[in-house]
Amino acid sequence: MRGAAILLGAGCVVWATAPPVHRGYADFALFLAILGVAAGALRLVLAAVPVPEENYLLPLPLQLCLRFLEVLRLVPWEEGALIAVLWLEVLHRARPWHTAFLGAALIAYLLATHLAESGASPDALRPQVRVLAVGAGLLALGAGAGMVPAVGPGAGSALLRLVAAGALIAAAGLVLPYVAAPGPPPGGGRWPERQ
Amino acid sequence: MSSSTDQNDRLLRVPGHELELHWRSSRHARRLLTLGVAGVFIALLARRPEFAGVAAPALLLLGAGRVQRRPSRISVRVRPSATRAFEGELVALDVRAEGQGDSHVRWTLHPGTDIDPGEVTAADGPQARFTFTPERWGRRQIGTMDVVLRDRWRLAEGHLTVTLPKLDCYPAPADQRTRVVLRRLPNRLGEHPARTSGEGIEFFGVREYVPGDRQRSINWPASTRRGRLQVNTFAAERSQDVVLLADATSDVGVPGSSALDLALRGAAAAARAYLEGRDRVGVITYQWGGVSWLGPGLGRRQLYRIIDSMLASDSGYARGASFRRLPRAALPPGALVVVFSPLLDQRFVESLRDMRERGFHMLVVDVLNAEPPVRRRREDRMARRIWQMEQEAIRFSLRELGVPVVHWDGVQSLDLPLAAHTRRPLAGRR
Repeated sequence: MRGAAILLGAGCVVWATAPPVHRGYADFALFLAILGVAAGALRLVLAAVPVPEENYLLPLPLQLCLRFLEVLRLVPWEEGALIAVLWLEVLHRARPWHTAFLGAALIAYLLATHLAESGASPDALRPQVRVLAVGAGLLALGAGAGMVPAVGPGAGSALLRLVAAGALIAAAGLVLPYVAAPGPPPGGGRWPERQ
Repeated sequence: MSSSTDQNDRLLRVPGHELELHWRSSRHARRLLTLGVAGVFIALLARRPEFAGVAAPALLLLGAGRVQRRPSRISVRVRPSATRAFEGELVALDVRAEGQGDSHVRWTLHPGTDIDPGEVTAADGPQARFTFTPERWGRRQIGTMDVVLRDRWRLAEGHLTVTLPKLDCYPAPADQRTRVVLRRLPNRLGEHPARTSGEGIEFFGVREYVPGDRQRSINWPASTRRGRLQVNTFAAERSQDVVLLADATSDVGVPGSSALDLALRGAAAAARAYLEGRDRVGVITYQWGGVSWLGPGLGRRQLYRIIDSMLASDSGYARGASFRRLPRAALPPGALVVVFSPLLDQRFVESLRDMRERGFHMLVVDVLNAEPPVRRRREDRMARRIWQMEQEAIRFSLRELGVPVVHWDGVQSLDLPLAAHTRRPLAGRR
C-alpha cells in the first residue's frame, strides 16, 4: 500500500504538470508538489522508526536525525502537495476530463496514504464504497458541466454552471444519510460469549 | 482454540478501566478537507466547474462521516501473563477493549526503560496480545499503551493512553551446579557427606561388629580376612547454613553486565544451587548507609524471598547498621559466607576482614570487570597503575587472611571459578 501511495502521488504530479507551463509560479508549484509527495513518501517509509523518550544524552548526529524525523512527521506534506498539484492544473487551459482524472487520482492517493499510515487493509474502505461511487458520479458531472459550451459569452454563464455544480453537490449531501447508513463493522464480529 | 478461549476467560476476570476518549479529526479528514476546500475555491475563482467535481468526493466523504456515532468512553482490560519475570524471559500482555461499538481499535505499545518489545508494537482489533522481554533486573514499568479508535469512515480518531502495570524483573541466575561445602557441618540432617559416621549412603569405613548392628551392613570379605565380624559404616549427611553477601555499594561497568548486575546474578545462582542441596540460605545486602538482611531458610520459596530482598532492600533496612550489629538469625555462627563484590569499597573490605577475624568461613567472588580508561597522559597512566596495585593488594590481603578470592566474568558458569573449592570441603583457618 505504501508503494501504491507513492506511485499515485508521483503520478498526480506528472499528470498535473504535463504539458509544462511556465507562468504563474508554475516552477515553484512543481517544486512544492514534488517536495510534498517526496516528503510524504519518506514519512510513510520511516513510519516504523521508533523515537526514544530520552534523547538528551544521544550523540549529536543521532539527535539531528531524530529532529529531522520529528519535522517529517509534524508537517502536513500531503496537504501542501494537494494544493500545489491543483495549482499546477489550474495553470493549464480548461481540460475537464483531464481534471476529472486528476481528481480521481488525488482521492485514490489520499485513501492509499491513509491506509499505508494506519496499517489498515483495503477492506476498511468498504463502508465508503457507495459514497465514493456517488462522488465519482459528481466528478463526472462536474467534468461534463465544464465541457458544456456557454450559452453566451461573459462571466454570467460560467457562474451559472458553477451554481449548478454546487446545487448538485448539495443534493448529493442531502441523500448522504441514506447512502451512508451504518452497517456491520468491517471484518468485525462479536466477541465470543462465555460458556 | 481452547487456549484462546482460556486467554479470553482470564482476561474477562480482570477488572476493566472505564476511560474517556478524546476525539479529533484524523489526518485523512484534514487532507480531504484541504482537497474539498481548495477545489471549491479554485472553481469559484477560475469559474471552472470541473474543479467543483474534484472537490465533490472529498466533501461527500466528510459529510458522510458526520453521520456516525462515536463512543465517549470505553472499557480497557489489561492483563500481563506474569507480574514477576527473570531477565530475558518472555512475558505476554493481553489487552481488550469493550464498548467501542463499530469503531476500529488500534493498539500501540510504548515500552518502558529496559523493556524490549520484540518486533510487534502495534496491533488492530478489539483484543490483542503483545510480547515483551525485560532486559535488566529491577522493578520496571512495562510502559504505556496508546489506544486509537477510528470511526467507520476513518475521519475521526479517539485517543487514550493506558499506563501499564509494573513488573518485578529478577536477575537471571547464572549457571551453577556445584556447591562449596564446609569441612565442619552443623549437626543437622542434609545432603552433604560429613566427616563423621552416620546414616548416609557414602562409604565411610569398616569397624568391628557390635550387638545391635544391622546384619545387612556386615562386610563379609573384611570379616573373612580378620576372623571377626566387620561392618561397613557410612558418612553422616548434614546441611549447612549459607549466607550470601551482595555488595551493592559500587556499580561500575557497562549497564547489563556491571558489577552489581553480576553480583545479583551470581547471588541468585548460588541461592538456587544451595537451596537445591537442602541448605539453609540467607542473604545480606550491603549498601550505602546500611545493611539489609534475610535470615537463612529452606525451600523454593526462599529463593524468591532472597531475590525480592536484594531487589527491594528497603525491607528490613536499618540505617547505619553494620555486620557487628546483625543478629545471629541473619549471620549464624559457623555459616559459609559467599561474598559477591567488586571489592571497591574500602569499608566493605574492612567489614570482610572483621568477619573473617570473628571466625566466619568466607569465599569472595570478585565481580569487577571494569577498569579505569586508558589515557595518554603520564599522570593518568600512573594513577591507573596505582589503582591496579591497590586492587591487587586488597585481594592479596584477603587471601593472606585465609579468604579465597575468585574472579568471575559473568559469562562463564560459576562452577569454573569455584572449581578449586568445590572439589574438597572448604577448611577455613581459625
